[in-house]
Amino acid sequence: MNEQQVSFAKLGDADLVRLVGEIDLANAPSIGREIIAHTAAAGAVLIDLTMVSFLDSAGVRLLDSLVGDLDDLGTPIRLVVGESGPARMTLKLCAFRDDLLATDLDRAAADLAC
Amino acid sequence: MSDDGGPDASRELASPWEEDPDELYEHAPCGYLTMLPDGTIIRVNETFLAWTGYPRSGLVGRLRFRDLLTPGGQRYHETHYAPLLEMQDDVHEVAFDVVCADGRRLPTLVDSVLGRDPAGLPQVIRTTVFNATERRSYEMKLLAARRAAEASERQVRVLQQIVAELAAAPTEVEVAETVVRAPEPAFGAADATIWLVDPDRDQLTAVACAGPAVAGYDDVPWNSSRPVAEVARRGDLHVIGTVAEAEQHFPELAATMRRTGRSTVVLLPLTAAPSDDGGPDVLGVLAFGFAEPRELTDSELRVVRLLGHQAGQALDRARLYDDARRREDRAAFLAETTRALDEVHRLLPRAHRLIDRVVPEVAEWAAVRLAVGAAGLLADAGSPAPDPERLAERVVAVAATGEAQLTDAEGADPDVAVLPLCSRGRVLGTLALRMAPGRRTAAAESVFLTDLADRAGLALENARLYEQERAIARTLQRSLLADKMPRDSRFAVETHYQAAGRDLEVGGDWFDAFLITGDKLGVVIGDVVGRGIDAATTMGQLRSAIRALASAEAGPAGLLERLDRFVDRVESARMATVAYAEVDLATAEMTYACAGHVPPLLVEPTGTPRYLLDGRSGALGSRAGRAERVEHQIRLPVGSRLLLFTDGLIERRDRPIDRGFEMLAREYASRRDAPLEGLPAGLADILVGVDHADDVCLLCLALGTDDKLERTIPADPLQIALLRKDLRGWLASHDVEPECGQAVLLATSEAAGNAVEHGYRDNPLGTVEVTATISDDAIEVRVADHGVWRSAPGDLARGRGLQLIRQVMDEVNIVRGASGTTVTMRRARRADR
Repeated sequence: MNEQQVSFAKLGDADLVRLVGEIDLANAPSIGREIIAHTAAAGAVLIDLTMVSFLDSAGVRLLDSLVGDLDDLGTPIRLVVGESGPARMTLKLCAFRDDLLATDLDRAAADLAC
Repeated sequence: MSDDGGPDASRELASPWEEDPDELYEHAPCGYLTMLPDGTIIRVNETFLAWTGYPRSGLVGRLRFRDLLTPGGQRYHETHYAPLLEMQDDVHEVAFDVVCADGRRLPTLVDSVLGRDPAGLPQVIRTTVFNATERRSYEMKLLAARRAAEASERQVRVLQQIVAELAAAPTEVEVAETVVRAPEPAFGAADATIWLVDPDRDQLTAVACAGPAVAGYDDVPWNSSRPVAEVARRGDLHVIGTVAEAEQHFPELAATMRRTGRSTVVLLPLTAAPSDDGGPDVLGVLAFGFAEPRELTDSELRVVRLLGHQAGQALDRARLYDDARRREDRAAFLAETTRALDEVHRLLPRAHRLIDRVVPEVAEWAAVRLAVGAAGLLADAGSPAPDPERLAERVVAVAATGEAQLTDAEGADPDVAVLPLCSRGRVLGTLALRMAPGRRTAAAESVFLTDLADRAGLALENARLYEQERAIARTLQRSLLADKMPRDSRFAVETHYQAAGRDLEVGGDWFDAFLITGDKLGVVIGDVVGRGIDAATTMGQLRSAIRALASAEAGPAGLLERLDRFVDRVESARMATVAYAEVDLATAEMTYACAGHVPPLLVEPTGTPRYLLDGRSGALGSRAGRAERVEHQIRLPVGSRLLLFTDGLIERRDRPIDRGFEMLAREYASRRDAPLEGLPAGLADILVGVDHADDVCLLCLALGTDDKLERTIPADPLQIALLRKDLRGWLASHDVEPECGQAVLLATSEAAGNAVEHGYRDNPLGTVEVTATISDDAIEVRVADHGVWRSAPGDLARGRGLQLIRQVMDEVNIVRGASGTTVTMRRARRADR
């Protein structure tokens, strides 16, 4: 299931992680492992959550630890959540820092490149 | 005169002339010798002198009698003659060869008498010598004849034994090994080698030898100038008497004879009965040699020839026997191969099965190439594989011409054969193989190999057609079943199709659901007789026909009647079974009819599941079934779930169908509150498993989206997604605002997740009960578990989950008790809450 739910690409210098579908208790741990495995050596990370149809606290936990790890490494990260949607709602409810969230993918990529 | 008138023997007859005693002595018909006791000749008659050619003066007083004898005679004279004479005073008929003056030897018989003086001392020896030339030669002849007879007897005995052994030798090689042992005991040969004619390879193959080989122990081409080939071609016995003789005709043989120290070599063709063209049918050549020059007598030559015929006949018999056995083996092999190929239906397994049959029994390496699909298909096994480039060229050539290449004189692998695999005049691919060692060449086995390739071609073509049809049928069926099921707030449809296990063809099962009018829903499930592409296309036709014929007025019975007429024109649809139901979404009335199909299973919100056994009539177009189409109407309470299915779900070879019905009802009941999503698939899993013999179709219709949604899910994180799906549909059917809906979904997921993750940390078999109710103003959700709420300090995740619930819901109430935890939460529907 994760093969379809997580995909990886490059956008400029940043590693782009695209998440699709529902992220919950059942699949968050394996998705997290996969992202860590692919972004360990990244210069910058963009996580695209615009196609996520559901995000629960397990997903929040995953993103939180991911941000924490990358911050420790000094790797810039942005979570792209669009103007609205389940992911944006959940992350806003969990009060994620404003500088982490972006609405537009390209702008976030340009932002990271600075 | 005597009384009877005959001569009177008592009186000496007077000779007609006067006999001179000296004359009588000198010219008597025998030699006379008078000798002193030491043997010195003192008197000799003319007869002896004439026979021996000595002058009288050369003998008398000069030589002893023994001086005239051969060395052997002298020895005998000393050891036997003289002592005997001394002892008994006379010796009779002693054979001595007298050496004449010119060196000739005169065979004689000698009588001697010893005269003694009054004192008894030896005084004189008187000897008569008879010429025994005639008699000696006669004796020699007698002796030779006896020896010849003995040799002949020995040869015949050896021959008899060989013939007896040949009768018991069933194969060519055993015949050869028997024959090669004959020359030594029969003729005293130092060695023997046997070659057999191999028409397949156009050569004489050395198969056996005894002793060091004279004529070389190796295979000889049929057209060679070597004597072995010469003899085989001509069919004549050759005796090469001397090295010089060999030098003249066969220098190579002369060299071998010199090297191996052979003086005489015999080359014997092994011939059976004359062949059709009149010449002797040469089946092999036996060569044997002698260290000493050996002249074979006529009788020996006859025995040699006889050996050649006997061996030839035995070879002929063995060859026929070998042929018969080989034919039998091949026939059995072909039959077994056909059977083995039939056991697997699909193309690649069948190609592999063919290779498994061929390697190693027939070939040490083999490859099947089929021109199927873009890349083609290859199955191969064994070694050594031939040069790939050359093989590729030959494969192309054989595929283009359709003609077998049994050998390849130009390439590096002349022993690799490439055969076309044909069917209906089309070359499907090729079979390339290298014959197993010890087998005859591909050219010699061409009839067998052609037969094998023909059978394989047919079997592979059938598999290819099967594969093609299977692919088309699957595609067709999937495309027909892929349509989106209708759904609105009043009902939901969930379907499942499970193809038959492994290699079985697709069946003709199908399901369908469509809105006939805005308020009338049609659901159908059916099963066409047969399998494969015919069944799939017929299913498609019936499906379309039902959609076209369904109308607000006709009703299920009317629809079936029209389908009967349709089946009269579409014969392949005859005996198809259909369960069809029309549901009035406004009144919740359902009218249904079953044409020979298994009855639908209904579960109402209260009560046990029951099979709907009314509205039954025969299969479509059935002549034996009840022709009158009937239907039955029932009311479906809100919250009912109707299951339509095909018989593959309940029919299993190892289970009576009654048990299938019971089991299905039980499983269905136990899933009463399970989310609709995944319900049909779960039933198929439980009832038929993966490896089943029939296709299975299920359609589950859930009616009436109540104000209340009740679900019970197992304590499994995966189940939460299914719950969310039902909840999302329920919320949508009540036109809940997206933001509010998302909030309820999140809160419910978190509450259920907590129950699964924490409440049932130690109990994976627990269940979580979820009840959602909606009013015009608000949505209320209750999530209850029977687990043990264990506080885990520092568990941020749970804290975050609860915090989220509190954030998105207006009211949250958590009750933790000994019997579990219940979370009740409420959120207002208004956007401006």
